[in-house]
Amino acid sequence: MRNARVFFKKYGAGKYISHLDLNRVMLRAIGKSQLDIWRTEGFHQHAYITFALPLSLGYASECESMDFRLLDDNEDMSLIPERLNKCLPEGLRVLRCADAVMKPDKIASATYDIVLEPMNDGEISKKELSGKLKEFIQLPEIPVEKKTKKGMKTIDLKGYILGCELPDSDSVRMILTLPAGASLNINPSLFVTALSDHIGVELYADVTRTGIFTQEGKSFE
Amino acid sequence: MYPKRIEKYLLKVQKPGRYVGGELGAVIKDKHEVDVRFAFCFPDTYEIGMSHLGIKILYSLFNSRPYIWCERVFAPWTDMEQIMLDHDIPLYALESGDPLTDFDFIGFTLQYELSYTNILNMLKLGGIPVLSRDRHGLEHIVVAGGPCACNPEPITDFIDIFFLGDGEEVDLEVIELYRECKKNGASRDEFLRRAALISGVYVPSLYDVSYNDDGTIRSVTPRDGAPAVIEKRCIMDMDSCYYPDDFVLPNIEIVHDRAVAEIFRGCIRGCRFCQAGFLYRPVREKSIPCISEQCHKLCRNTGYDEISLSSLSSSDYTKVVELLRELNSWAKPENVSLSLPSLRVDGFTDDILDQIKTVRKSGLTFAPEAGSQRLRDAINKNVFEDELMSTCRVAFEGGYTTVKLYFMIGLPTETMDDVAEIADLGRKVVDTYYSTENRVKGKSPRVTISASSFVPKPFTPFQWEPQDTMDVLREKQQHIRSSITTRKITYNYHDSDTSFLEAVFARGDRKLNQVMLKAHERGMHFDSWGDFFSLEKWLDVFKECGIDPAFYANRRRSFDEILPWDHLDYGITKEFLKRECERAYESKPSPNCREKCMMCGAKKYCGGVCYEER
Repeated sequence: MRNARVFFKKYGAGKYISHLDLNRVMLRAIGKSQLDIWRTEGFHQHAYITFALPLSLGYASECESMDFRLLDDNEDMSLIPERLNKCLPEGLRVLRCADAVMKPDKIASATYDIVLEPMNDGEISKKELSGKLKEFIQLPEIPVEKKTKKGMKTIDLKGYILGCELPDSDSVRMILTLPAGASLNINPSLFVTALSDHIGVELYADVTRTGIFTQEGKSFE
Repeated sequence: MYPKRIEKYLLKVQKPGRYVGGELGAVIKDKHEVDVRFAFCFPDTYEIGMSHLGIKILYSLFNSRPYIWCERVFAPWTDMEQIMLDHDIPLYALESGDPLTDFDFIGFTLQYELSYTNILNMLKLGGIPVLSRDRHGLEHIVVAGGPCACNPEPITDFIDIFFLGDGEEVDLEVIELYRECKKNGASRDEFLRRAALISGVYVPSLYDVSYNDDGTIRSVTPRDGAPAVIEKRCIMDMDSCYYPDDFVLPNIEIVHDRAVAEIFRGCIRGCRFCQAGFLYRPVREKSIPCISEQCHKLCRNTGYDEISLSSLSSSDYTKVVELLRELNSWAKPENVSLSLPSLRVDGFTDDILDQIKTVRKSGLTFAPEAGSQRLRDAINKNVFEDELMSTCRVAFEGGYTTVKLYFMIGLPTETMDDVAEIADLGRKVVDTYYSTENRVKGKSPRVTISASSFVPKPFTPFQWEPQDTMDVLREKQQHIRSSITTRKITYNYHDSDTSFLEAVFARGDRKLNQVMLKAHERGMHFDSWGDFFSLEKWLDVFKECGIDPAFYANRRRSFDEILPWDHLDYGITKEFLKRECERAYESKPSPNCREKCMMCGAKKYCGGVCYEER
């Protein structure tokens, strides 16, 4: 038995497959591909797959991963992406398959590529929005309300931003690195909402997760 | 693919996956390379529409023709609808993202009367004029089929063509005719006139209806060579009938998310309240090899690990145990489980239970329909109390603890004593649990009694019957409640308001078109969803139109009245329905099709159960 990890992209219509639904879609794809993977042996037997880090509904990603155990040790992993892609809907593409190297609990941060625009066309110009964004990230603190298991809590988002770049672009764009993982996870929507509130303009954010990293800054493998 | 400009708004709605398409199995064609574009519309949400077998069959069938591109359209939920209205986004099809106005055909399936308002709303959202007479030119032909097409009179102002009976052949014939008319530059009227000559096609605009002073129908007169009687289409050879080997696989959870095999059409039973049991006569079975092959392909192609065997009464399949064995010969090794819905109380045997013992042990559901044997005889639901109890015992021994029992109230000839016996039957099931020696110990039984209100339907022996008034129905609902004496029974009942409206439209005539239009203009839709249904608003509309809904719901028709659907022929003779109705008054059951032919008329289709060797 080998622990395999497939990395896949989520985009277009695939962005609207929720985490729960993704599980269903993947199980069906594995069934259709006739990939021989380990099944649970309890009362409700089913093929066993896990996902390292859930992605919010509506976000695209270039670096999602799914784990399963291959029953055949000699299975050719290089063929798995093609086999699965034939069985997946538009918006989900497997990029590669490899032995799982790290445990998902090693995940510490994720990078998001965010393109901002006003929800209502014309409410704010690109130039103005871009200026406001620059001002906003310079603020000494960014208090936001975060939902926790114990209820709403105010945190200073500023202290959690691990990286923030504003690349040259035709659109208002930023690349944000935030803590990610099971113990501490900061959703970039907190940032977008705070910015919206700050400037008084409802914003739409097109978010793509571009990388998942460990504490040491290594790509999650 | 969805129109790009909705992207921004998608995260503001519940379940955005409903509106984006892109599923595996969705058929994408080049619109410039097809002759006919067909928008298959389901007048309810994505999750409900995507669970419907008929749309799966016709979608694949249409798309199997290179010159047709069939796409899917569902009713947007109110949150999405508001966004579409606010931002001028017309209702679009999921495959191309194109608005309904880009389509040649806009087809609806008529599954329940309360979805009619959604049809009008979908047309409006798509930018299609709701009234047939406002649509011109050879485009935007609005067609409809499905069970409610057996009395489509309340919506004849809106629909250009109704398909009666099985759609697999007639739909394609009409599409083919349209393709020819389009090539030759024929007019809309010419197309409709020619379509009316195809068997199974009802073009309502070609019929004039006149009324007597009392509001009943005087006559229905065809024009322009349209046939006086329109016969339903009936596919006799089920093995060679088209069946898809792949489904569109939803990305979000839908109501029935599994492979489905249709094992036969029709029903031998003839329960007198059941419209489907008469509309789909005669019973036509698929063979075991055919079902097995279709299921196997479907599971392979879809990746589903569950198959549901669909029919009106699964255990009436002649060789049901053999069928299950054959299916399990490959299903078991491939980890595919079988489920058998619509099991009759008397069809639940150890043999079947062994074959369908799936991983999930959900509750069992039976439908005795009436509490007393007398009333079960009157409605011809040939289920006996001892059968129910022995079936429950089998189930309890098999580890089940939950039993759901479905009943109807307001059935013809029903008395308050019959109603009280519903609670009594529930109690007896609880008692049976405790007297089952091999039951799973340490668990408590759960019996659920559900009571819905009877709605008399066309083409049934009860088509002449009045529906109980809402007051009487409510009284009966409460009578059940007060007759329940044990806390092991959970009781719920279906709201009688919606049943009343259903009864009005089920047996309505063309005068109801104006009611439908006015209701639509007032923004009424999603009436089958409790959150939106308001009887009060409906009663207002009726009042304004000067129409008494009780005329349709609560009036007893005489046997010689011309009924609004008399010019439609579903193979069942009115004489037979009368005989069955009279037997009901005598509380006399009738044998099923396999026991004895009752001469319903369906023999004229020259096949099926009518010609089985007995």
